[in-house]
Formats: sequence, C-alpha cells, structure tokens
Amino acid sequence: MRDDLIYLDYAATTPLDPQVAELMSAMLKNDTSFANSSAVHIAGRRASVIVEQAAAQLARLLNCAPAELIWTSGATESNNLAITGAARYRTHRGKHLITMPTEHKAVADVFRALETQGFDVTWLSPDESGSLDLQDLDAAFRDDTTLVSIMYVNNETGVLQDIAAIGERCRNRDVLFHVDAAQGVGKLPFDLASLPVDLASMTAHKVYGPTGIGALYIADRPRCHVEPLYYGGGQQHGVRPGTLPVTLIAAFGLAAEIATSSMATDFEHVQALRERLWAGLQPIAGVVRNGDAENSYPGILNVSIDDIEGESLLLALEPLCVATGSACNSQNQEPSYVLRALGRDDALAQSAVRVSFGRMSTESEIDFAVERYRESVERLRAIAPGRAASAT
Amino acid sequence: MTFEPYSDEVRKLFSHPEHAGEVDGGVESFVEDQGVRIRLTMAHIDDRIEELRFQAWGCPHLLAACEWFCATCETGTLADLRHFERSELMQTLAVPVEKTGRILVLEDAVRSLGAAVRDTST
Repeated sequence: MRDDLIYLDYAATTPLDPQVAELMSAMLKNDTSFANSSAVHIAGRRASVIVEQAAAQLARLLNCAPAELIWTSGATESNNLAITGAARYRTHRGKHLITMPTEHKAVADVFRALETQGFDVTWLSPDESGSLDLQDLDAAFRDDTTLVSIMYVNNETGVLQDIAAIGERCRNRDVLFHVDAAQGVGKLPFDLASLPVDLASMTAHKVYGPTGIGALYIADRPRCHVEPLYYGGGQQHGVRPGTLPVTLIAAFGLAAEIATSSMATDFEHVQALRERLWAGLQPIAGVVRNGDAENSYPGILNVSIDDIEGESLLLALEPLCVATGSACNSQNQEPSYVLRALGRDDALAQSAVRVSFGRMSTESEIDFAVERYRESVERLRAIAPGRAASAT
Repeated sequence: MTFEPYSDEVRKLFSHPEHAGEVDGGVESFVEDQGVRIRLTMAHIDDRIEELRFQAWGCPHLLAACEWFCATCETGTLADLRHFERSELMQTLAVPVEKTGRILVLEDAVRSLGAAVRDTST
C-alpha cells in the first residue's frame, strides 16, 4: 500500500495478488498471449490452452466442471446475463421472479428493469439481522415462479444467506436459483457440487485478481439455460460471444488457485482483524453494528454512529479508504438502501461506514483506523450544536 | 473526468475550522433545516463584529462554508451580515449546485443572527 493511504475497502475491490500481477506482466510482454483463443493457428491454440487451464483452476475452487463456467467482464455482467437470460428463457413457464431489496444494485436494478418488461417481482424483506426468513420464501413461491436470486454474502454488511436451504426449496419447485456470489467466492467455501445452485455470478477483482474479468456458473446437471444478451462470433457456446481476454482469464485462474490454497488462512486473518477492529470501535459512544455479528463474512464490518453526519465522517477519516453505502454507489450520499431495509433510520443509515479488509491488511492498519475513527467522531461532535439549542 | 467532490479550500477549512466553537454570552442564532443544524454566536461592540463562531452538523461543504463565513465576517461590521450572499461563498468553495439548499440554511442563520442583534439593541 502507498504510504499516504490506508486501504480498507476490500469489499469494493481487492489489490492484485503479487503473483497475479507478475503473471499478467509476463503475459502482456509475451509475444503470443494476445492471440485469439478461438483461432486455429498455433498462437490461438496456445491461448486456448491458457484459457482452459484457468477454467480448470476456477472450477477446482468451486468444485464444478470447467465447462460450466462462462467468462464475462465481471459480476455485473454475470448477474445481468443470469437473471435476464434465465427469466427470458423461461417465459413459457411464467414471469414471476423472487429476490430481496438488499441485493447489490447489479442484481436489484436488473429486476427493476425486468419489472418494466412485464415480469412480476416479489421483493422479500430481510429480518433485522439481514437474513432471509425461509418461511417468507416458501410463501412467495407461485405456480408461475421461474427464478429466485439471493446473494451469498451481502456487500455492505457481510451477512450470509442460507444458500443450501434456499436452493433446496427452489429445486423442490423446479425454480431456478441464481446466487450473486461475488463477495463470497474465494473467501468462503462455495461448493457447487453440493449446493443446489443453478447460476452463480463472480468476479476476479474481489479475490485479488484484476478488474474486467468475471465468470458465470451455469449448472449442467440439472441443465440450466440462459438466453444470450447479445450476439456475435459464437464463442462460449453463443451464450456470451466475443474474443476472450486471455491475460485477464489467466489472472483470474491464478487468483482462484491461490484462493483455493489460502482460503482458511485468509479467513482466520480477517476474523482476527474484525475482532480487533470491533473491540476498538465498540467503546465509542453511540456506535451501532449493522448486520449479524455471527452469521456474516468477517472481512466486512459495517458500523453506524449516532448523530454523526456520514459524509463529513468519511472525509474526516482520510487517509482511510473506507466506504459509505455500497462502494459502487459512493458518489451518491443517499442513506444506504440496504441498511434502510434492515430497519435503520435515515440518520443511522447515512452515518454508516463499511470497513473491509483482506489478505494484505495488517493489525497496524486496523489500529490506525480505530484511532482515526475515534478522533474524527470526537472532532465532529465537538463542532456540532446540540439539537435542543435555543433559537433567538 | 475525475471525481473530486471537494475543492482544496473546502478540504482546508473542513480540516482546520479555526472558528468552530461558541462565544460565551454572545448573540446567537440557531437554524435546523434540510437535515443540517447551524448555530452562530457573535460578540460585537457597536457596529463592529469582535468575535464570530459557529457550530454545525452537516456535510463537509456546510462545515467549510460556516468556517469561511466566520473568517470572512469576523472583524467586519454588522452590515456585512445584512449583505451576506451565498453566491460568493459557493463560487469560492466550489460548492456543487445540489448542495445549495444547505448553504441557504447558513444564509438563514446569518439573517437570524442579524435579527437577533437588532432585537437585543431595541
């Protein structure tokens, strides 16, 4: 990390793993890695082998078949392709879809778009901890339900959903189940051989790979189909055509391989950091933890603070790089819709700060963050007038 | 295009609000609106502003605006309060137009302070 900033926004995007950076650098300088992997000449065949190797690496992480993976530009595209593609493919069965308002915008906005195209969406609210009540899901199924989409790890709070139980309910009703797994893949076990999941979205840049490359898992058994969003050269069975970015794919593959071997160590590391961070922040008056402390990925800690303005807090916290709301939406200072859905009022939702950390984070960075947070809150409170100040 | 929400001036005033605080026994105004709160306190001798302080709860632009106002008007005259206009402030600090409402709250607080002075003088 650069000396002038402390990066604690790993849920937005992670730094490149040094091994991944080294691989990319070598490939970008290589004279044949740029080749079109669909070409039949020798350079193309070499590129094709690299792509196959990366698919095998990612498939090992997910315990699925390499052929079940489609390369995309990232989780946003994967979500769009999975949800829109599956919903459209199954219109002969019905047009009812189920999701939650706490999904990432890359999912929620797809459903909103589908609502304008004649689909009927049921939005299941979470309980106060952020979890889906399975009884609510049971009650929401209809004869014309074709797809359920629920995320694995919430990007703002880290709260986990019971993917196995949700998937089981979908399978029993022959309803497709899509999981936005962008925050979970490579950080938590996500075994697609045992989980009843039909479609899963993921991206490299949340797991120490580069931005610009993601993947969509499309289950082969039972066979799942999606309608393509666009058309072109027929690559990837026509599901997602286009010349493949070989270097990015190789980088994703290596990042997945590293994640496979380091997942347990990484988990223990971020768990210890979150405990340290929360122990430091908890004594500050008015601090509230957002999301379930137990049932959550420990690389994310989301806290609100009573009567502190969120935008000022974020600036006061510099050089900490943390997030308010979801990072993808950080230019919008509206209160987090995820925290509002969890029952937080506007003021608490607006003051929420998401601190997220990972493999490269250190105890000293966490200690610095705690100190900075304390100082900032103290300073802003000292400047603020009381609510009961008298007008003259 | 880069996204830099705060001008250097806003960053400077936000980080070092030298006029944050209150004037004991001074004339005061308090306005709460648009999701922000501002309290201004002032000591004056006749027409001359001797000391001007603010307390505020709001975004960095608002806090910087309060500091800019106090720094600009302190040692000025009461007429400066009457003539205070947001346009110069917004231009100097490069306040985005969507935050005009919050700056209007400061304008209200300044007017309210002027009115408080008149009330205490009569």
